[in-house]
Amino acid sequence: MIFDLMEMLRSEPLVLIIFTFGVAGVMGGIPPMIERSRRRNIENDLPAMLEALSDSLKAGLGLQQAMQSEAERNAGVLGSLLRATLEESHTSSFDSALANFASKTRSSQVQRVMHLLSTAIEQDSPLGDILANLSMDYERLNDLMNQREEELMGRAILIILFLCLGLPILIAFIVGLFAPESKGFQLDGFHSSFSLFFGACAGMAVAISGRMLGRLGSMLWFVPIWMATAMFIYLGGYQVAGS
Amino acid sequence: MDESREILYVIRTMDVLLGSGVGLEATIHSIAQGGYGIISDDFNKLMGNIQGGTPLEKELRNMLRDCETDGYKRLINTMLNNVTQNTDIIETLRKQGGRMEEERSKAVKKYIEELGGLPETLLSIGMIGPIILAIVGIIPQLIDKDADITGVTEYAPMMNLVVSGGLFFTLLFMIMIGLKAHTKDPGL
Repeated sequence: MIFDLMEMLRSEPLVLIIFTFGVAGVMGGIPPMIERSRRRNIENDLPAMLEALSDSLKAGLGLQQAMQSEAERNAGVLGSLLRATLEESHTSSFDSALANFASKTRSSQVQRVMHLLSTAIEQDSPLGDILANLSMDYERLNDLMNQREEELMGRAILIILFLCLGLPILIAFIVGLFAPESKGFQLDGFHSSFSLFFGACAGMAVAISGRMLGRLGSMLWFVPIWMATAMFIYLGGYQVAGS
Repeated sequence: MDESREILYVIRTMDVLLGSGVGLEATIHSIAQGGYGIISDDFNKLMGNIQGGTPLEKELRNMLRDCETDGYKRLINTMLNNVTQNTDIIETLRKQGGRMEEERSKAVKKYIEELGGLPETLLSIGMIGPIILAIVGIIPQLIDKDADITGVTEYAPMMNLVVSGGLFFTLLFMIMIGLKAHTKDPGL
């Protein structure tokens, strides 16, 4: 069986080539996933931080003091970045420390908030009210983003499982049972077409799932490995079913 | 697309800044600094022209003519009304923002609902097409040449082309169905 599978791969070198790219793709795809998770943690923490800052400012504290107490309270990534920012602000200006904080988070939400804060500070506007409004806005936005992700995650996984695993297995077994190689069926060209089809289907499935979750860019890294998996499952499934 | 994605953030930012006593020009300047995609670029151009001597009213009118999405047009119109008639821009922006937020929530819920049956639809098409094509591809080999009264065995080489073409069209059909995940994205 193993030799049959190896023989099969020898006649379908494209699977091996895509698999090699797939392994490299997985390595390239992990950092964006970690980065995204970190960014979403920061963004989910943002409304609570803004609310706490607003409360402290309304209680009469200055912005730096309010940030100091928030940095001590917050144990997450946002808290540690805030602590680093405050330490940095001792050696540079508070404004540049805020800008640096925003760029370190790599989150457009935080960058917008910090930019708005800088403008409000320049204009001497009531920061307490601004932060309270922003906190509510970003809470609603993050709730919506989380809702979308939670509700579509299951469907996105289902698409990948159906098209990358289920479909090739199903067709491989149907073809393998009705036209096994052991009975003299010559299906080389047929297998090439079908394995390419399943590879393309798998690529499309991963791209659709990524788009549904709003993370197409980071999911594209995983396209080759899923393509190779689907192609291999079809070719291997045929060998298994037909033996 | 970029405009409609950013417009709510711009309205909320303007609401916050104007509500805190910042002037309209300073608010436009703040947004022009960046972070709001194409709207920042437009506002940056507008600020440049204002500093060059063009009145804000004229610039807003030009912008109103050029912008494409509804929300963006409404925002520019609100700003123009404030400049020409001194209307309550904060109140209008709050209403606009509230309405847009409601629309956005509805759009997200609709998007989630519309994608509900997508996995099953893709699997069904992905299954039916290849099963039919697999049968078409194998038939010439299943029938004994001597007993073939239909003459289908003579078409064996052509069957491969039919199968490949059929698979290509199945894939194309699946892509078109899957494309709604992109085209109907409400953008967050």
